[in-house]
Amino acid sequence: MSETKKKVPIKVGLFKPPDDGDEGYLFGSRCKACGVYFHPKRVVCANCYSEDLEEVALSRRGKITTYTIARTSYPGTPVTPPFVTALVELPEKVRVLSLIAGIELDKVEIGTEVELCFWKTGEDDKGNEVVAYAFRPMLT
Amino acid sequence: MSQKEVAILGVGITKFGRVTGRGLLEIAHEAGLKALKDAGVDFRDIQMGFCAHCNQPMGTGMDCFAELGMTGIPVTNVEVACASQSRGVLLAAEMIAAGAYDVALVIGIEKMPRGMVPSIGDLGDMPYRFLTGIMPMPGEYAMQAREHMHLHGTKIEHFAKAAEKAHRNGSLNPNATYQEVFSLEEIMNSRMIADPITMLMCSANADGATATVVCSKKKAKQYTTKPMLLVGWASGTPMYVKSESVSLAEGPTKYLARKVYEMSGLAPEDVDVVQMHDAFSPGEIWTLEDLGFCPKGDGGPFVWEGNTEIGGKIPVNTDGGLVSCGHPLGATGGRMIAELCWQLRGTAGPRQVPGKPKVALLHNQGLGGTNVMMFKM
Repeated sequence: MSETKKKVPIKVGLFKPPDDGDEGYLFGSRCKACGVYFHPKRVVCANCYSEDLEEVALSRRGKITTYTIARTSYPGTPVTPPFVTALVELPEKVRVLSLIAGIELDKVEIGTEVELCFWKTGEDDKGNEVVAYAFRPMLT
Repeated sequence: MSQKEVAILGVGITKFGRVTGRGLLEIAHEAGLKALKDAGVDFRDIQMGFCAHCNQPMGTGMDCFAELGMTGIPVTNVEVACASQSRGVLLAAEMIAAGAYDVALVIGIEKMPRGMVPSIGDLGDMPYRFLTGIMPMPGEYAMQAREHMHLHGTKIEHFAKAAEKAHRNGSLNPNATYQEVFSLEEIMNSRMIADPITMLMCSANADGATATVVCSKKKAKQYTTKPMLLVGWASGTPMYVKSESVSLAEGPTKYLARKVYEMSGLAPEDVDVVQMHDAFSPGEIWTLEDLGFCPKGDGGPFVWEGNTEIGGKIPVNTDGGLVSCGHPLGATGGRMIAELCWQLRGTAGPRQVPGKPKVALLHNQGLGGTNVMMFKM
């Protein structure tokens, strides 16, 4: 009587975790009136105040606009310092705050091109894998 | 508004410090009584109260005021993160300016846990930030600092210099948490928290209470011939700006400062002393720019050259700022107001800005909520 273990998001509504054959993506909102994108999702457009927004999958690639190398964090959280946190600008002109995975600390710089990935933050009480997003340097 | 000016009649603050072992009501009582005595106002003359705090239980304001007296006045709790107390003062000022009341007491209070502020929220991407742990509290300032370095060539030494000055000023302030001088090297070599921000560039969590008596200009004449006047003010939150490159929320400091200069009829050149929000020392660099004291991008060299020292062109955070005083969130605004009041009265002792300062500017900011105030004596 074993249930299939799933990937569940650390927080519902921010992103779609990867699933069988589907690589997962960040949720955004696109205003159907003025075309501006947002992340996280919004109910009212901050640009034109239209309430006609649609949920979209945001681009998986972007570049670092600024960053910090964190040498400490909150006790009991799944990150292990040191790690890189950055603002990643996507082609939709939204900035996403994200962990940068798989990067050497002395290699991170403003302008670095990165792509979306996911990492396991732990397990829930049903044994499902809890995941969060990150960006990692693009393999060129 | 029926009046454009409101008086700050009295100020009071407790010593700020880590885990003082003193209760909430005890420190609220101390700060409140100090402000009332400083103002020469009897509690029975206070017509309304505000109590600013962020992490305290529901009803804290009512309890704190009840310690001072039970005259039946309305008491309102105010929370704008680190800018709570100054917003409380502005709420009082706006109601006084509108003619609804004459005298108010505003208490700011906080008892802080050790370690970083656990700013857990359940909105937007906050749960992602805090559940994963990717965003330690200095992270926001750290990323802004990195961007400033990238765009304007600002150096880590500039951030360290702002901290070195803050600690030196704070060593002259018996109410500061640190009261200790640190060299540039000690600051730069202290533990890295979030690159480029080191431990000694961070404000320490502290317990503390502050209080301010706000009064109509007319009524103030009953108590003093020369009150500190609030001659311009503005409060705000981030504004959405759609730009060519990217759409983002802009901090409102620049916009609010413009409003305050306009309301007061004063310009950056008229200001003699400043208190600004330096939860982490790099904040001094860009806030100087946003308040109009130097061109955008020049904040680093401006601080490095000593312009913000006591005795410099525009003294900033003469009491040590958040970096040396420590940061009891809900109380910090009242500490800033108190220092500016003492500076304008000429009673700041070893920290006194020379040349009899007459005009003071305040900037207090928390999670986007921002207050800018102009004082004159």
